Amino acid sequence: METLVAITKSNWKSALINLIDEYVVYAPYRFWNQLEYGRVTKDNIGDIVYNQPKPSSPLKSLFLPIRENVVNSSQPAQKRIIMGAPACDLSALSILDEIYLNHDYPDPNYMKYRENTILIGFDCHTTNEHCHCTSYGFHPYPTENSDLVISLIDDNFLISAQSDKGLSFLEKYLSNEEQAPDEQKEKATEIRENIEHDLREKNKDLPDYDKTGEVVMQCGDDIWDRYSDTCVSCGACSAICPTCSCFLLIERPEFEKVRSLDTCQYPGFERVAAGEDPLRPLPKRFRNRYMCKYVWKPEKFQSKACTGCGRCIEACIGEINKNDLFKEQFKNLSIEA
Amino acid sequence: MNTATLDLYTPVKATLTKVIEESPTIKTFVLKPEQEFHFKTGQFIELAMEGIGEAPFTPSSSPLVSDQIEVTIMKAGFVTEKIHKLSEGAVLGIRGPYGRGYPLEEMYGKQVLVMGGGCGFAPIRSLLYNLEAEKDKIKKLTFCYGSKTPKDCIYKDYIDHLRAVDKFEVFRSVDKADETWEEREGVVTNLLDEIKINVEESVAVVVGPPIMMKFSVQKLLELGFPGHKILLSLEKNMSCGLGKCGHCMMGKYFVCKDGPVFTYEEIKDQPDIWK
Repeated sequence: METLVAITKSNWKSALINLIDEYVVYAPYRFWNQLEYGRVTKDNIGDIVYNQPKPSSPLKSLFLPIRENVVNSSQPAQKRIIMGAPACDLSALSILDEIYLNHDYPDPNYMKYRENTILIGFDCHTTNEHCHCTSYGFHPYPTENSDLVISLIDDNFLISAQSDKGLSFLEKYLSNEEQAPDEQKEKATEIRENIEHDLREKNKDLPDYDKTGEVVMQCGDDIWDRYSDTCVSCGACSAICPTCSCFLLIERPEFEKVRSLDTCQYPGFERVAAGEDPLRPLPKRFRNRYMCKYVWKPEKFQSKACTGCGRCIEACIGEINKNDLFKEQFKNLSIEA
Repeated sequence: MNTATLDLYTPVKATLTKVIEESPTIKTFVLKPEQEFHFKTGQFIELAMEGIGEAPFTPSSSPLVSDQIEVTIMKAGFVTEKIHKLSEGAVLGIRGPYGRGYPLEEMYGKQVLVMGGGCGFAPIRSLLYNLEAEKDKIKKLTFCYGSKTPKDCIYKDYIDHLRAVDKFEVFRSVDKADETWEEREGVVTNLLDEIKINVEESVAVVVGPPIMMKFSVQKLLELGFPGHKILLSLEKNMSCGLGKCGHCMMGKYFVCKDGPVFTYEEIKDQPDIWK
């Protein structure tokens, strides 16, 4: 499903002005030196940052808020447009959907957020230092879970629809727009190919997703001890991960419950009443996150539990680089094999 | 969307009608839910104390009774300590039932060997109630129960009842006996040396503290039980009960949804199964 229309900057601005009356619209903005999702208003439409890789917070934050009342909640009903999600974050929604929309127990809040949101993904026209989506079979442009995709070429917004929802949105709001000129389409394709090539080159020593699982499984205690040496269990790697979705249920008066995002990196995550806690030693907690993402979840779910966004490397105050671990151990694995 | 979906995290209220002291650290709480509550033996519930906390328990009462539910709780942590202080009339919340219970059909036509340790008798009692009601479908039931001291033996009246049930036999052992104790002394696995079972036509169920389960499984394997005929009920930090929160993840399994009853075969390669 690929309908490409081209829309000029001023027409896009007018369209957005109409849309913010009907929807709560989010888009990436630059705060200090980093990108972050912000609420679009009539005054800041011109400041939206297009086609740059990943806002600091993952897209999941807009579907699984850090804290949320899951018994009495009235918030999720609002209609939203989220612009600027990069492909890594959009693909990460697949495993969240498997967990939160599981047919036995579909989560009402998550479902409402998903149903009431139009997702407009952006192609990545540049990369960040630790971006490595291509090593896990993803592309630096949205291929799934987005309704519309935008690539800004020569002051023209090239917009394609990727879902029925996106298509009807295009028809409703942008039906008078022109088809994109061929040379701009070609330019957009060229950028995609170049970025993909750059990412592949940059990450050529990284194992793919399946091999990463093998690498993680082969690592002995010495590796986990060494790499977790500077870990302080702050949980940043999980908080900014687009696929980490574990939570704590907090009991409130009148049997209300608050769901608060949690992580296996915190002490006591698996502790039971009698005191047994398999993840008490820090290196075991550290290893748990790797096993979860590259070994256990792949056995359980169809969707990948890491989309190569690299945020966990950027966020780590202990400067732990999981890709160094993978490269080092992959080399050893290859030598042994 | 069905109503069950809307009420994913909202418990059914249940009034505490009776508290039974089973041992110095274990009490049974008899609850009357405000609506009928059905579960299969081995499934668990989330029991909430309003504003305090919620914890997973496997009911110890008969799954054939739906207007009353019994939960046997050992004082072990923050929530259980608070629950132990409750008295009749208190209102608690129940969510569930969750997970996969005991596969009764695997027991039909067989000899069933049940091994219990300490508070592990709680989920076992629910199973025994169920099997007693269906005793014409099984060949024989052998129950081996171990606890630390005679004082820690729970359900004393129920033990007497079981001894009188046709096809049922009961063996008990305590780690440390006193002058009142007339049964075996030693770890519960020692009882396996005394009983007569035909391994070929048997299914084993093991529920108890991790260390007891570990050694029981070891012994059962030595006796020739294949891994798929050893059923275990695992205790992990099941918090949401819905296969989402991740706290009970054990390798590729969410214990709350894929378990809590597993065959040993299913879990033997997963990490930390005895922790």
